Amino acid sequence: MSEHLLPPPRDQAIYVNYLPMPVGIHRFLKFAVPAVLWIMCALAFVWARSQYSPGNAVWETGKPVEFMGVLGAAPYPVLFTPAKDGTITAVLLVEQGKFGTQKRAAALSGQLVRVSGWLLHREGRQILELEPEDRALVRITDAAITQAPTLRELGSVTVRGEIVDGKCYLGAMKPGAGKTHKECATLCIRGGIPPIVIAFSADGSTEYLLLQSESGEAIDPALHHLIADPVEIRGVKHQWLGVSGLGVLRVRAADVRRL
Amino acid sequence: MSVGYAAIQWSKPKRRYDLIVGLAIIAYIGTFMLVSKMLWTGASAISDEVLILRALGSCGFILLHIILCIGPLARFDPRWLPVLFNRRHLGVMTFFIALAHGVIAIGYYHGFGTINPLVSLLTSNTEFASVQAFPYQLLGVVALIVLFLLAATSHDFWNKNLSAATWKRLHMSVYGAYVLLVAHVALGALQNDRGLLGPIATVLGVCTVGVLHLLAAWRERNRDLSSPTSSVAGEEWIDVGTPAEIPDDRARTVCAPGGERIAIFKHNGRISAVTNVCAHQGGPLGEGAIIDGCITCPWHGWQYKPQDGCAPPPFQEKVATYRVRISAGRVQVNARALPPGTPTDPVSARSEAANV
Repeated sequence: MSEHLLPPPRDQAIYVNYLPMPVGIHRFLKFAVPAVLWIMCALAFVWARSQYSPGNAVWETGKPVEFMGVLGAAPYPVLFTPAKDGTITAVLLVEQGKFGTQKRAAALSGQLVRVSGWLLHREGRQILELEPEDRALVRITDAAITQAPTLRELGSVTVRGEIVDGKCYLGAMKPGAGKTHKECATLCIRGGIPPIVIAFSADGSTEYLLLQSESGEAIDPALHHLIADPVEIRGVKHQWLGVSGLGVLRVRAADVRRL
Repeated sequence: MSVGYAAIQWSKPKRRYDLIVGLAIIAYIGTFMLVSKMLWTGASAISDEVLILRALGSCGFILLHIILCIGPLARFDPRWLPVLFNRRHLGVMTFFIALAHGVIAIGYYHGFGTINPLVSLLTSNTEFASVQAFPYQLLGVVALIVLFLLAATSHDFWNKNLSAATWKRLHMSVYGAYVLLVAHVALGALQNDRGLLGPIATVLGVCTVGVLHLLAAWRERNRDLSSPTSSVAGEEWIDVGTPAEIPDDRARTVCAPGGERIAIFKHNGRISAVTNVCAHQGGPLGEGAIIDGCITCPWHGWQYKPQDGCAPPPFQEKVATYRVRISAGRVQVNARALPPGTPTDPVSARSEAANV
């Protein structure tokens, strides 16, 4: 409607978008617009700085790597492979996406195998995302290790920490823990990704415990609603002989409580 | 004001407005991503998807605060009116930012799994009884649906066809979306936060929105003249004050016994009254001015002739008018609204009761 209107009176102080802008408002906006842009940048800077480190976890997404060793298939597939220092490294195995590799591993349980895929690791703990092709998990006849290490019971313990899915926490998502990751971790664990308890000690140290049911099977689905919550867990701790860095905690669903 | 509909009636001020908002969004997201990528590197780098989610989520949340604060700010200081006039575009942009945040979050956290991402969204977490584990993502989804409804109906086509009152009521649900989003943030991101910055910023944001609205309501209540009414032959007349107390080409606002606000304008020495509610989006006509002989709404510049409440041709909008008289040197307005567009005779500021 501007074409038939006269210019606004000199004392007009309100802004009408189809009329010339009053001088006072124009002066204000010349200051306010750059100020808003700077404030947005400042807010973004402060907010970005306030984030915390998700931890030193790496997903080696480049060239696939190979491991040879003994496969333990149930309940969460794990490859026992000799380390350079003479100890044994436990490498958890998973598929791409949010899937465990139980189906592929079942036929080769206890066998010598060669696996290939992309490694995720955090503080020395390792998980391998297998390549989708069949050649990613094959039986071999010779390896520097011939038998899976014995799982020894260490007794009852009570730990406090968080149940995470091994794949995300070891580098697939960063951060791969906490409230915002709860649904993802639940989906991963339901899909067969190994659940790990990150147990925090009073001295500041962290322990990684592969979670299993009381009888050594996959965890009770009744535990799923406690994934990613701060929890206290009472269970029986186990350790593979010669394997450091990853223990096993066998629990009953009733012995896990949200803190 | 328009005699027809166009998807967007682009004008230079709107283009400039959208450009500034776009720049502000780019500045925010760009700075956030850049600083995050510089600070968190190597093994301790935060996932790109998480950074984008955080940048979009926080940007949308800040924009929603701005949207909610513009209204009261413009009532305190008309210099904010240029920010208000194209608030709808700001709202639509906020919706698209929230949508991007939601789509990426659902894809990232609920995708690549054994079940459909939307099924996962609805079933992965059902801890509704727990504050700690509450499925905060669902709050975000409901808020996103509300923001979609508001964005989809933001056009004047819906304003006209739903009726201004219904449209206004629908768009007041932005406050519901805001409450849901505050809960979404408090029960989600803030529970992950280890510092105090997030909680403090959220509380400050909520307080700013709340205090500005309370102050605006308090100011409006104080500005409604607590005018004495006199009843003559069954008709209620509200005292407005002396003619000199009404500024030239401006209005005084009174509140009728039923709660309806009436704007009494003085133009060229003549006084007339219309409802305080603009037919467009319910803007406060009494805070506008007479420009080119027309009452002009401060929100979007819709205009009405003071003598009959009709928009100047070719526009067809109408607002309710009120009868005015001068009695014993004081302006009085009749409490009963006349049908929108009813002509009245503006009274001379120097006339007496005979002009009723």
